[in-house]
Amino acid sequence: MSDDPDRRAFILGFVATALGMAMRPEGALAAGGAIRDQPWAVWDKNDKPVRGGIFRIAAPLYIGKMNPNHWPVNDWVTMGYFHERLMFNDGQYKATVPWLAEQVTFEDPQTVLMRLREGVTFHDGSKFDAASLKYQIDWIRDPKNKAWSVGLLAPLASLEIVDERTLRWKFNAPWAAFHGVMTNVPGYALSAAALQADSEKYDTQPQGTGPYLLEEASPGNYIKLKRNPNWWFAKASGNPDMPYFDGVHVSVIPDPAVRLANLRAGRIDVLTLDKSQYAIVKDDPNLNIRRFPGNHVAALRFNTTKGVFQDIRLRKAVSHAIDRQALIAGTQFGLARIASCLYPDNHWCHNPDLKPVVYDPELSKKLLAEAGHAGGLTVRGYYVNTSIGQTIAEAVKNMLGKVGINWQVDLLAPAALATRMQNLDYDLAQGGSVWIFDPDPTATGQYHPGGGFNFGRSKNDAAIALIEAGRREIDPDKRQKIYWQLEKVLYDSHEDAWLWWEETVVAYRKQVQGWHHEGFLKYYDAWFWAHPLWFKDGKQ
Amino acid sequence: MGRYIGFRLLHALVILALVTVLTFVIAQLVPGDGILAAMAGSVDMNDASAVARVRQQYGLDQPILTQFGDWLARFVVGDWGTSIGAGEKVHEMFMRRLPVTLELFLGATLWSIAIGIPAGIIGALKRNSAIDVTLTTGTMIGVSIPSFWEAIMLIYLLAVLFPIVPPSGYVPFSEDPIQNLKSMLLPTFVLGTHSAGLLARYVRSSLLEVLGHDYIRTARAKGFSERAVVARHALKPAMIPVVTVIGLAWAQMLGGAFIVEVIFAIPGLGRMSVDAIFQKDFPVMQATLIAVSINVLVVNLLVDILYGYLDPRVRVQR
Repeated sequence: MSDDPDRRAFILGFVATALGMAMRPEGALAAGGAIRDQPWAVWDKNDKPVRGGIFRIAAPLYIGKMNPNHWPVNDWVTMGYFHERLMFNDGQYKATVPWLAEQVTFEDPQTVLMRLREGVTFHDGSKFDAASLKYQIDWIRDPKNKAWSVGLLAPLASLEIVDERTLRWKFNAPWAAFHGVMTNVPGYALSAAALQADSEKYDTQPQGTGPYLLEEASPGNYIKLKRNPNWWFAKASGNPDMPYFDGVHVSVIPDPAVRLANLRAGRIDVLTLDKSQYAIVKDDPNLNIRRFPGNHVAALRFNTTKGVFQDIRLRKAVSHAIDRQALIAGTQFGLARIASCLYPDNHWCHNPDLKPVVYDPELSKKLLAEAGHAGGLTVRGYYVNTSIGQTIAEAVKNMLGKVGINWQVDLLAPAALATRMQNLDYDLAQGGSVWIFDPDPTATGQYHPGGGFNFGRSKNDAAIALIEAGRREIDPDKRQKIYWQLEKVLYDSHEDAWLWWEETVVAYRKQVQGWHHEGFLKYYDAWFWAHPLWFKDGKQ
Repeated sequence: MGRYIGFRLLHALVILALVTVLTFVIAQLVPGDGILAAMAGSVDMNDASAVARVRQQYGLDQPILTQFGDWLARFVVGDWGTSIGAGEKVHEMFMRRLPVTLELFLGATLWSIAIGIPAGIIGALKRNSAIDVTLTTGTMIGVSIPSFWEAIMLIYLLAVLFPIVPPSGYVPFSEDPIQNLKSMLLPTFVLGTHSAGLLARYVRSSLLEVLGHDYIRTARAKGFSERAVVARHALKPAMIPVVTVIGLAWAQMLGGAFIVEVIFAIPGLGRMSVDAIFQKDFPVMQATLIAVSINVLVVNLLVDILYGYLDPRVRVQR
């Protein structure tokens, strides 16, 4: 399922996908080492960054809790300004980029040796080292601390300190997704000293290692961050002036039209646009517009264990009845890519041999007739009740109607929609996945009985076996083949009707300098955080 | 009067108790799993137990009666619970946002009085004239225009095309009075123009009715100027329905403020309460519904007391 697209699109604004060349290190992660030896740590000699100014951004919701392991967290973009992670994903969403972890290697399928960066300190002055990381991981795993993320560390058997900067992680079973998990929530580095002193206070007074530290927070209204003069990356990379902005000001502005008004009034410096806004601003002389492939997939979700869609012919009929090109043009303003399957086409686990399902309404009718529904078929479902959700639902309903499928779709608020999904109270409904990074969470969430989105609606034994195999295979090349095979199984069984992969559009005021699109597309998170932006002449 | 107020307060307490139970029941009947919906949009959902863990944290895994009992026991000692959607203490959220919404509504009331009452008086005094027709049309437009459209149009006109005021956002008065007034100018105007139209029509029709009474004719016959007749004899009784309109508007302030608070990004109670409904944020829903009920009861009591002042006949009947 997917939620409010406005909110998701904003969150994605700084973490969009990449095209470009793959980073394919041999075997397990080997691209560790000093910052200056990293391929993404290259700066344009023609750039002349200037210090100064407050970078102003807008968020649809206030961040919530500032400890990423506590719920709720409503703004992961802002979280990234003061908390950093052990690993980052590259341009193919592969966790190959060592950040706070300098090197991460598998000693054997159930053991990882991790060496941490030297010279990293938290905002409270305490040291980031093996002891602090072990304390943090133990803190997450202690039930009394109520970390929602504890389940993400379920395969961890033990964590031992080898030396001041090195830890040995031991797992109950081979854990191929370990690197990917370290790019996510349990991989955010938190000050052990702050947690130990008062972990509840940490929810409002975070102590990370990031380029900015919390200056002031007005819940529901704004957050002010100020420059971290002791940011470890500035020294390690040989760029002592980083980060360049004196601070970051995050304003909570719920309405997308008003966020755009703020951008055009020069009150904010960057905005992830609603797709409907792209045409308004694409020729604005005061803005630079960047388009990126996004890592969400929109889909229609079948209930394959109850009801009519247990019959693959009917699933095929639905899939062939959808004109994806028209859907993208009409509802996404052309800003999306037709999807063939689960993983976006620039994801390292995307099977390049799979092509999008062809729009063929005549074939749909034929399949319906073969399945005994020549006279038509009525199915039930739901879609989210945002304005864009309504538009998509109506378009799909019309397309299905043309082949004789009457889709009785209810437009529901996200909370109500979640209950229907949980109770399998649908035949065909809004589906898809967001935040597709490591392949395992997405596949498990949707298609494994233990996943958080399945609820028993899908029981494809071949897919389940491949998902479990993918978790255990630590060789990246072999692991990739497993997920290619998984995609083929899901594709051949029409487990869902995948519609499109997202595209994100971000607008920067021309005053904001330092963006190199090719670099960002290639190295993604690593490039973004290693190449802080600045204002022309240091003035906003 | 003391007995009357005492009786009304007792009556209010009974209603409040009923409202508390009713709002709890209604909140439980609203379909949806807010936790699953919120987590699905933010985090990898490969861990099916994550949602259950968060639900347990907020006590949502308990039987409904247990949840109500726990909530009530804490509420009466000032612990309003923790917001599921924001993670903050509900009492702190409420107290921080209340003055914001009060300021918004006070400003809107001032606008509506400043526009509505003069417009209604002029319309009544210049009945059927070109001025009256213009004012009537203007007030109808003010009532008819959707507030979200009016808000966005004004933002683009006065904040983007001609940057006079900020497009959105809130600066507390204590932090910067000038910026506070600038940031509240458009929101209070948008909220105020809607009730101004209604107020003008009430004032006009009420004043017209009063001006037709015998005692007004007597006053004129005694040689008082028209200004003296209106100001001293007609205006006070004509204000009775105005008090009702303003009172009703205050009672409904949360619902009306929501759209304006969302558009102008004002961190007030209206936005907080509607977000809570969509997120099924039970602690916030319950606290704000009770606050709304208290607001309605108190405002109605104040209106009734004010009636007595404006119309002695009401006092005698009591």
